[in-house]
Amino acid sequence: MKYFTYIFRNARRNPVRSVLTIASTGICMFLMMLLLSFFANKNEVTDGSKIYNRIVTMNANGFAGMVPVGRIREIVAIDGVKAATPFQWYGGKYHDQVMPFAQFAVDADCIFDILDEFTVPPAQLADFKANKDGTVIGRRLASDWNLEVGDPLPLKGDIFPVDMNLTVRGIYDGPSNRDLRMCLFRFDYLDEALKRVTMSSSSGGSLATNSARASGNAGTIFIKCKTGNGMAGLCKKIDDLYHNSEYPTRTQTEEAFGKMFGEMLGDLKNAIYGIGVAVIVSLLFVAGNAMAMAMRERTSEVAVLKAIGFSKGLVLFLVLTEAILVAGFGGALGSLGCKFFCDVVDIGRYSGGFLPFFYVPWNIAIFGLVLSLFVGFASGYFPALFAANSSVINGLRKVV
Amino acid sequence: MGEISSIILRNVHKEYHRDEFVIPVLADLDLSVAEGEYLALMGPSGSGKTTLLNLAAGLDRATKGEVIVHGQDLGHLSEAEITRWRANNVGFIFQTYNLIPVLTAFENVELPLLLTHLSRRKRRENVMTAMRIVGLHSREHHYPRQLSGGQEQRVAIARAIVTDPYLLVADEPTGDLDRTTAGEILDLLELLNREFQKTIVMVTHDPLAAARASRVLHLDKGRLVDEVIQETRVSAAS
Amino acid sequence: MIPIKYNVRNLRVRWKTTLMTMLGTALLVASSCILFGLVEGLEYSLKISGDPLDLIILRKGSSNENTGGFEANKADDVLNLKGIARDENGASLAAKEMLNIAIGERANGTRNNLIIRGVQPASRKLRPDFKIVAGRDLVEGRGECIVSHSLSRRYKGAQVGGQLNFGDKEQYRVVGIFTAGGSAAESEIWADLKDVEKNTGRDGSVSCVQLRAASQADYENIQKTVNDDTQFRLAAVPETIYFENQSRSSLFLKAAGTVIAVLLTFGAMFAAANTMFAAVNSRTREIGTMRALGFSQRDILISFLGESLLLCTLGGLLGLLATLPLNLLTIETSNFSTFASVSITFRFGWTVAAVAMIMTVAMGLFGGMFPALRAVRLEVISALREL
Repeated sequence: MKYFTYIFRNARRNPVRSVLTIASTGICMFLMMLLLSFFANKNEVTDGSKIYNRIVTMNANGFAGMVPVGRIREIVAIDGVKAATPFQWYGGKYHDQVMPFAQFAVDADCIFDILDEFTVPPAQLADFKANKDGTVIGRRLASDWNLEVGDPLPLKGDIFPVDMNLTVRGIYDGPSNRDLRMCLFRFDYLDEALKRVTMSSSSGGSLATNSARASGNAGTIFIKCKTGNGMAGLCKKIDDLYHNSEYPTRTQTEEAFGKMFGEMLGDLKNAIYGIGVAVIVSLLFVAGNAMAMAMRERTSEVAVLKAIGFSKGLVLFLVLTEAILVAGFGGALGSLGCKFFCDVVDIGRYSGGFLPFFYVPWNIAIFGLVLSLFVGFASGYFPALFAANSSVINGLRKVV
Repeated sequence: MGEISSIILRNVHKEYHRDEFVIPVLADLDLSVAEGEYLALMGPSGSGKTTLLNLAAGLDRATKGEVIVHGQDLGHLSEAEITRWRANNVGFIFQTYNLIPVLTAFENVELPLLLTHLSRRKRRENVMTAMRIVGLHSREHHYPRQLSGGQEQRVAIARAIVTDPYLLVADEPTGDLDRTTAGEILDLLELLNREFQKTIVMVTHDPLAAARASRVLHLDKGRLVDEVIQETRVSAAS
Repeated sequence: MIPIKYNVRNLRVRWKTTLMTMLGTALLVASSCILFGLVEGLEYSLKISGDPLDLIILRKGSSNENTGGFEANKADDVLNLKGIARDENGASLAAKEMLNIAIGERANGTRNNLIIRGVQPASRKLRPDFKIVAGRDLVEGRGECIVSHSLSRRYKGAQVGGQLNFGDKEQYRVVGIFTAGGSAAESEIWADLKDVEKNTGRDGSVSCVQLRAASQADYENIQKTVNDDTQFRLAAVPETIYFENQSRSSLFLKAAGTVIAVLLTFGAMFAAANTMFAAVNSRTREIGTMRALGFSQRDILISFLGESLLLCTLGGLLGLLATLPLNLLTIETSNFSTFASVSITFRFGWTVAAVAMIMTVAMGLFGGMFPALRAVRLEVISALREL
């Protein structure tokens, strides 16, 4: 574009102003990336689980209700079910920190056939199956806490009235957009401990205060289906099977199960979106102001251009392009900067189990870029319009 | 010098509206400028001379009356059309040069050519020609802040002639220059008028500048009050 | 000293720029205030009662009343301990409570886990500002319940006269709506303890005992008695400690909120700096004149810093005012450590005002520092000559 030299030089004309505008745009975009990626990551986990053909059974009345572990035998016998494991949230304390990472009690023999996106070295898996007190932890968890195979991993009971003194038998790995921070240990180990506590209660009554905290509760059951097509049917079948029992179930695809947690967010989602909108609007004012100030200083120059014969449309185009260029550059810095930052700094590590991973997906980064181009356009629009329609005569009359 | 009229103003009135006030600037003006003429407009502040210049250059519209330049009735042109007309037919020279500070001398002169469809090479040819005429071809890569006042004005003149317009309008072209430099600029203008047959309309306070013109018009309170035709022109060389 | 009205007039003359900068910074300050109001509200929503003499009795080792259950006969022993405060009618300020979490459906179809608390009469006195705001309080043994104001606005069946069904066995009729000063109770549904025991089949146990000690000495005695008793295997957790443990789960949110606020402050700083630089640039001749007249460099510096502070204060005030209407807004979401519904009421207390003030001063000072320094460094002669 033959006008590009002029536009580009204008953008660099007042370096302080351009730098400040770029910095403002960059910071706001950085923030937007953080907010939007949070939701995108959560969605990705749930959407990504579609391909694994898993369904999850829980008590129909919520997590406080129990799912008897004996049902697993019945479920595995159903046509279309490949394997099933209990998946009980243990929620224990580690080194006096409350729930610093997710801990689940599972069936060692089939868990990695069900969670088949994860890989474990065969020797380690065999070790896990052979030792009741074993645990297999995710690669990222191992590096967070500097744990190796053979290290002890003592967990203190918080939800459950028993402690779990575990030993790391294996480390699992998998795709980077799955949870690599779980601690999976053996359900039979937990169950036996719970039974012992029940039987040896010294105050002469059952300590099983809550059926959900007693032994024999699978918590949830993770089921691997043979094919993807039959999943909805299987869900219904299982729920029908236990509909009239004391512990009715609710079975849904893993994807729906994940979405359920997202739904719980409720108003918080809107609050965060609201803040995002406020930030963008603020950016419009800031960038718009910067552009307006720049144009105010160039009134006579614009008048000269129009005198020479530059049409209104051309003047509008020149100013708008400059605004878009500056804002776009700032936005690119902010978006790509955030993406790079999250790739290099493992935020998931510091989130205390809240975020298994955090990164900025490409589509969000590109959205950020497009958004900043829009901000450039919107903020440059009125100054551009003003310049295009300014009076040539008055502009020339000014002695500046 | 031909007798064909290049600029015709007939019964021209011009008034400005400021809030609720109506300010008359030109009243019942008749003027005819021949092609290739070198006209100077003089008069006290507020006499309307700059307004007259603006009308002839197509920068402003008359409230009443006709303005016909080189056969084109400017009153019939739309905003967009008159802008394009200016690009093709008029060159501007200002008191404060009004060069774009972020562009080099070359790029400043090239500016009006960006509005044409000429190729990059052709544009370069025309720019260098213009710069050679004004004597500044060695300074093409300099920015305005690196040039003296006189050099800046030359660049401005080069920009004004690069599209080869019929008409050059100059508003106090020597107002900011010292005596010697002013003389050089006036020599240049005279050259353009004599050698290249450019019609020049110049507003000035400077009697020495006016002395170079072939006709001097005096305005007062929006009317022509005096006219002096100068057969002989004083040049700085003598 | 250059009089402040010079700055005020300048801001007024360049009113468009002033307004745009104000609006830009105001929005950023408002966003930060909203975030901190939310975090404050979240913290507050985790408090049970906030009274320093209150104790929560849980199973030893447990950190949360949702999961810290123990036998009912032990609970009765606790209720009989000496040193428990009494209300004006002589009734003991101690209550057994049982928690249940069940799935509730919002009016918009989405679901969340709701806390149903089985309570005794004294439970109400053990909450701050407990008030029935619609309908009436429940009567024991009739399968009635009362719901918090926040839940009544969002959940199906949670209005006075409505019915809440959680599975076949748990059904309650809603007879009233309550508020409790933004504390944890505002996220809950309350029913009679015996009804909840019956419905969930857990009549042998309780989730916790809430009690208030009669005096500081009693407070310490009760703690000692409960904690030291090897048979009990219970823990008497002071309200403050319990609360600290809960709010640890909100640490991440607090940290995230702070990071965002810091980013916003920087963004606002740059906006203010931009405006101030332009202001300085357009007034170089004035500055030169003032210097020529005899005002010192320090006077110029302070004048421009002052103008920057003034500009940012206007923006900050506007931002703070904009958040005031949100003051009593409640949002309902999930507590990520218990996965149960939590209702957060925005609190614009001193923390939020402090945040706004700090942001404003930071913006004004740091944003205005460089422009002011540039104003000062201008040479007098060249400033006067500048066109």
